[in-house]
Amino acid sequence: MNPLASVALVGIVLIVSVYLVAVIDAALGLRVSHERRYAGVWMVPVAGAARLALQRRSLTERPDREAWALAPPLLAGLAAVALTAIPLAPGVGIADIRAGIVLFGAAMMQVMVAVFLHGWGSNSVFPLFGAFRMAAAGLSMGIPFSLVLITTALPAESLSVGTIIASQEGLWNVLRQPLGLPVFLITALAFSFWGPMNLPDGGDLAGGTAVEASGIPFLVWRIARVAVLVALAAMGAAAFLGGYLGPWLPGWLWMIVKTMVLATLMIWSGHRFARMRIESVVLFGWTLLLPIALVDVFVSGALTL
Amino acid sequence: MTALGSALVVFLAAVLAAGVVRWVGDVLNPLTLTVPERVPFAGGSPPEYHAWNRFHIRWYTMALLFLAFDMEMVFMYPWAVVFVREGLISLVEMLMFILILVVGIVYTWRERGFEWA
Amino acid sequence: MGIRAILARLAHTAPIPVFPVTGADAIDAVRDLRLRPEIELVSTPRHASVLLVAGNFGVNPVPGLALVHDQMPLPRVTVHWKGEIADDAHGQVVSGDEANLVEKLSALDREILVAPGLSDPATLPDVDPVDWRGVGPYGHGGKGMTGGTPFGRPLAERAPDRDGIELDQLPVTIGPWVGALPPGLQLRVKFQGDVIQEVEVVPAFASTRPDNVFVAALHTPTAVAILELERARHHLRWLADALTFHGLPALGLWALRLAHDLGPQDRTEVEDLLKSLRRSWVITMVLSRIDGALDGSLGAGSGPLARAAGLEDDARLDDPVYQALDFQPILGGTGGPAAWWRQRMAEIVQSLDLSIRAGDMTAFGRGSVEGPRGRLHADNPDASTSLELLPGLIAGLEWGDAASVIWSLDIDPFARMDVEVPAGMET
Repeated sequence: MNPLASVALVGIVLIVSVYLVAVIDAALGLRVSHERRYAGVWMVPVAGAARLALQRRSLTERPDREAWALAPPLLAGLAAVALTAIPLAPGVGIADIRAGIVLFGAAMMQVMVAVFLHGWGSNSVFPLFGAFRMAAAGLSMGIPFSLVLITTALPAESLSVGTIIASQEGLWNVLRQPLGLPVFLITALAFSFWGPMNLPDGGDLAGGTAVEASGIPFLVWRIARVAVLVALAAMGAAAFLGGYLGPWLPGWLWMIVKTMVLATLMIWSGHRFARMRIESVVLFGWTLLLPIALVDVFVSGALTL
Repeated sequence: MTALGSALVVFLAAVLAAGVVRWVGDVLNPLTLTVPERVPFAGGSPPEYHAWNRFHIRWYTMALLFLAFDMEMVFMYPWAVVFVREGLISLVEMLMFILILVVGIVYTWRERGFEWA
Repeated sequence: MGIRAILARLAHTAPIPVFPVTGADAIDAVRDLRLRPEIELVSTPRHASVLLVAGNFGVNPVPGLALVHDQMPLPRVTVHWKGEIADDAHGQVVSGDEANLVEKLSALDREILVAPGLSDPATLPDVDPVDWRGVGPYGHGGKGMTGGTPFGRPLAERAPDRDGIELDQLPVTIGPWVGALPPGLQLRVKFQGDVIQEVEVVPAFASTRPDNVFVAALHTPTAVAILELERARHHLRWLADALTFHGLPALGLWALRLAHDLGPQDRTEVEDLLKSLRRSWVITMVLSRIDGALDGSLGAGSGPLARAAGLEDDARLDDPVYQALDFQPILGGTGGPAAWWRQRMAEIVQSLDLSIRAGDMTAFGRGSVEGPRGRLHADNPDASTSLELLPGLIAGLEWGDAASVIWSLDIDPFARMDVEVPAGMET
């Protein structure tokens, strides 16, 4: 695809999705807290962004300037690259390479690096704790994450996301491999550090890696984090819900609907479940999610033959 | 342009866009900070030491286990592509490989390698 | 600039980020501000535009206040509420109630968004306390780098740890105004990694205690319904803070809304809230698993903490009015954070039931009243011993677990009065 057109496509998709996700998050929060007044929920992301744009960014005493400055743009770039691996409509795939899953997985594992840099750069205690927690959580959740994606590649006989979508013509993977989507969503929460998995930026660290961030770098960080969530939801929609396949509606509309359904599910879990302890994340990643993912691989493999 | 080339362009465009926005922010809100404004936040008390320290990463054994599984992942990527073609024998072979690694998980669990504190 | 004015008008519609510094007598009022859509209470001053100094602190200067003020990025403004301010303190004073405060904050916010030059200047002197400049082109090298103080501040000293390794032990003073801990609590912690090796509670400064229905009940007979409703309200407010800490801010807001005008008609809604709480797995997944990390040195505690451990420690048992109401204290098993939560949740429902059944009956104080944190005596209106339990409980825990335990204790950080502020604690 023409590089300029790809940049425009990814940009528009991310900006619109990030806005929608922020609105859904605000609305769900109001609903769970039994607030009756929803007016103004549409302006929440834009007004919040304007407020951060007018705030000066902060510096600490002896920061690692380059690392700290690099982290939010890096996170944004990784979300954008991850999105290019997924064809958003029939024939519209920016980087729908033969090893699309590998590209996506590589981008997501680097999210761990971006969060670590963000926590390391400011030379402050709470962000540093957040950084190391993300490293542990990323390592623990990375293997189940890759395993369930590989399982979706089995019936397609290819690692390309477009082929995986095409292989779901008859039956969506969520029905063919029922263990896959729940594990994927849990690990997706960990990589976008949202809700019950918000360990690096959580409340017990008073804001974690974002404690010393303010102004535009903080705004870019928050947007990039939601963009990662959107990219993960899009991958879930493509690999498990059949992507752009579906009757009556055009392909891109199905893709939007399915992505938003998964994103809403992830955001809802943030309001519904308490934040997990880091020890539990590590323990359950290895002793619960990994065996489930392995069972998923081999049972689906046996059934595919 | 190749597919990966487009992906690279998208990546650089996103990083550049974030950098431009940061520069615009600095123009709107000029940065002149006094020394006390730069003290790291810990609730109102100033720090005595740098936060950077030889952090005891207690989960280094888990990281070693991750390396083992990551190498297994490297083998599973091409295995997934040729799986249907090769048939049942490839399933059994990969199963044996994984079971050996699962012994590693059980060992780490028993040896309290997944505990944090 | 035109663009600044446009952005300012847009930004003004968003909630105003406020960093609260709260004295003991304003904790409830500041907590209620969470219900206001115009205000957002943030956990770090770097995200805030307004520093809200609420309540009376009993010392001047307030520990940590100057540093927290300077850590706020521009545009920033300081507002004093519900307290007396010293003559040399700067910032605006707002009197009156919450509505007045929100109005004033909104007006101030509009001003400083458009003209950030109107913000408060930094209060502390612009002098580097650890001045160190190197000789090389990147600021490295020279005397002091190899002397153990790179870039001015020293690196942490090594100490033995488990696994037979000697790694750095980082001493940090956390608090008193950090969002992760109850306001006013200051801890001196030695971390190895993010696990607490040693912890010490820095003595609190004397702060004016708020008026309390339970303290008043020590002297004048008070209706049982009022006492029990206030007890339920206290526990709901504690729940609001604890849920916000554990990543469930929306549920916390619901609890706060319920606590606002709690009455017998809210019983079903309270039960719905508690059901949502159980379904959030905060007790089974988070708190129960911390029990395993605590090495059993739970101590007795007072009030709900003691009852959760199975001790029948309740002043209401001695009260003939409560005996007439067939009051039975709820007793738990082993104690621990999960048991403490369950205890308080059950006591909310029990208090609501008692308030319905009691009707007009008046309690007999008889010198000792059961407050929400424990037994109050006429000569010692402070009920809590949790602060003494704290160091023994959290030493050896990972930081997140330790903060969970602290919130589960329902600590009153200002409970220790008449202690002088140690020299050097003011910043």
